[in-house]
Amino acid sequence: MSDFDAIDSLLDAVGPQAELPPGHVRRELRERARLSKAQVARALGVSPSTLSGWENGRDPSGEIRTKYAYLLDGLNTKLATATTTETAPAAEQPVTSSTAPTATPLSSPDLCQDDDADDVERLVVPEPCVLCGLPAGQRVAGFAQHLTPADCRPTATKAPTAVLAPPAGQPTAQTPKTPPRTPRTTRATERSKGPARHAFQEPSGPVDQIREAVQGALAEHGGDVDAATTALVKRAIPDAMRLLDETRKGARYDVIAHPWIPDILKKQTARGSDQIWEARPKWTRHELPPGRHQVTALDINGAYLSALKTHLPLGRLEHSTSQPHDRRRSGVHLITPPEWEHEAVLPNPIGQRDEPGPLWITEPTLRLLLRLSGPKHQLCAPPQIHESYTSGATENLLEKFRIALKDARDTAIEQGDTVTLEYVKAMYSKFVSTMGESNYNRELYRPDWMHLIRSQAFANLWLKALKAHDEGLAVVRAMGTDELHVIGDWRRVFAEGRGVTEVKVKNTYTTGSDTAQHTGEGE
Amino acid sequence: MPQKNIDFGRFGAQGIKGSDAVARKLNELAGGIATPVTAKRGWMARLHYLTKSPQTLKAAQDAGLTVTHRTLKAWLEGKRRPSKTNLERIDQAYRTVRRHNVARHLLKRLNRDGRGTRVEIHPLNQSQVPQPLQRVVEYRTMNVRRWDRIVGSWAAGDHQSLDAAWQDTIVDLGSQWGQYEYVTNVGFAA
Repeated sequence: MSDFDAIDSLLDAVGPQAELPPGHVRRELRERARLSKAQVARALGVSPSTLSGWENGRDPSGEIRTKYAYLLDGLNTKLATATTTETAPAAEQPVTSSTAPTATPLSSPDLCQDDDADDVERLVVPEPCVLCGLPAGQRVAGFAQHLTPADCRPTATKAPTAVLAPPAGQPTAQTPKTPPRTPRTTRATERSKGPARHAFQEPSGPVDQIREAVQGALAEHGGDVDAATTALVKRAIPDAMRLLDETRKGARYDVIAHPWIPDILKKQTARGSDQIWEARPKWTRHELPPGRHQVTALDINGAYLSALKTHLPLGRLEHSTSQPHDRRRSGVHLITPPEWEHEAVLPNPIGQRDEPGPLWITEPTLRLLLRLSGPKHQLCAPPQIHESYTSGATENLLEKFRIALKDARDTAIEQGDTVTLEYVKAMYSKFVSTMGESNYNRELYRPDWMHLIRSQAFANLWLKALKAHDEGLAVVRAMGTDELHVIGDWRRVFAEGRGVTEVKVKNTYTTGSDTAQHTGEGE
Repeated sequence: MPQKNIDFGRFGAQGIKGSDAVARKLNELAGGIATPVTAKRGWMARLHYLTKSPQTLKAAQDAGLTVTHRTLKAWLEGKRRPSKTNLERIDQAYRTVRRHNVARHLLKRLNRDGRGTRVEIHPLNQSQVPQPLQRVVEYRTMNVRRWDRIVGSWAAGDHQSLDAAWQDTIVDLGSQWGQYEYVTNVGFAA
């Protein structure tokens, strides 16, 4: 049941933004309540300077805006009641009478309805009704509730199409409420069948483990999506390790967690890094084609999740010198990179390397270089391998783990389930970032895998850039793990969507030969 | 000893004693101050750790930091610098006291209420051994449930009893346990 709560609260969050009074009124309200910026900022979880920004005309957005609106609303009602009851000893608070009229429209923008009872408060942020649990826009004697019985329905009846007549100032959540219990259970059973392609999957697979964790967390926090998400993200690392164990049940190879590690893979200082070069792309095209262009910044979905499929060395890395590359082994290699002559149109596959000379690269980068030097592409000379630390490799070690996470992710996107989405994201990204020498995950000590997976993500991005280039798009920028800027009709090259094989648009901007002007959300 | 390990390395095998590998891993897990004792920041941090309470000071004195309170005060106020011998003493005392303090928590985490911890044993390196003398030595894992003796002797800094405790543990590997007296690495998490 609880994942429907998650959906409901998500739906609640979508809607018009909370109304905020103008900046000087916000400051006045706070000062009249004798609250310092630091106090308010702490309560809202922002920095005091952010708060002063808001009081000087900037506007918060999203969830924090709702919180801020709630706070201002509360202050306003408090101060308003204080002035009416105390009959204002005029000398003490001269500000009050002058500012009250400016502030009142905030809390009650629509007094058209008949609230004759004097302790009826209007809520900017609807709270669950104490009687039926659906969001109510009014509070009576401290309890949020609906004013008319028509609005207030117990959950067993048919879901009302519109719970409240939405007042003009009501910011959020006038969406039709959840379907009642009976449809829920039927839908839940439909879903538990899982994806149809896994016809012979055992009932309690790894995907169920993820779902149970999410449901458990939601139940524990009473359907509070934010709290549940935070709790799940916090336990993402141990859960990912548990999931890994689960997916390796009956598998051919052991996950060897603490092998001997060569010195090149050890951190040299506490905060330093080791000697491996991960070939992170950081490239912007020097000269654009003439004229003005519409550039689209594409975002590769779940880059690290896809990169879990790479050739991972199984056992201890063994040293070897100047041998030809063995496709059945994987590890790190000391190479002299080939010259790269296509810098004008495509990034260097080994990334922005400033220092010349040999460097330690990982298997995915080496395979990329070998592929590019092969007969099909012939983009560069083959790299020269000097030394290697390799071990027998398999691409399938994390495959079940990856599929489980991908399935959970796909289902979560389909159902709009942000909790699972965040949880899955935290699981794979934290799994990758802590599998090396991290104190947050001591159960797995494989810096080699960490480097290999990251390099695989970079190599995947590079290959996407090559694909775009081959299809006639102009690649403008390849950045980090998942950012690709192209000019041209990219939709015929990449599918748009949220799946791991698809790309999504980050923003678009126009740029010309001399001036660049951003029209999107910014970088 | 079921295997001929008396003259280890005669034919080119490489490895360290299993108990040393365990001690190394436990040291890693225990953590501590990373700055070397020779830097002022390093020895100051160690001295602060050792003089935090009368009990730790007592433990430090028992661990060989036999200097007067006057000297300690002068060090802590930055009026004097410890000599080279005293730096070594500080480091030694710090490691002993730290191990003693951490041992309790480490033991609890390793025992995990009797469920124990999975240990990976990576066999010795035979790459330099002539081919006819090489033997198949596999990578092994085992679950160690009782860590009391191992952690206890590690905390006391007693290599011999740690070695004995570790040998008694790896006997559970079966008749081949002698092959694992020397290893390249022993891995476990806590």
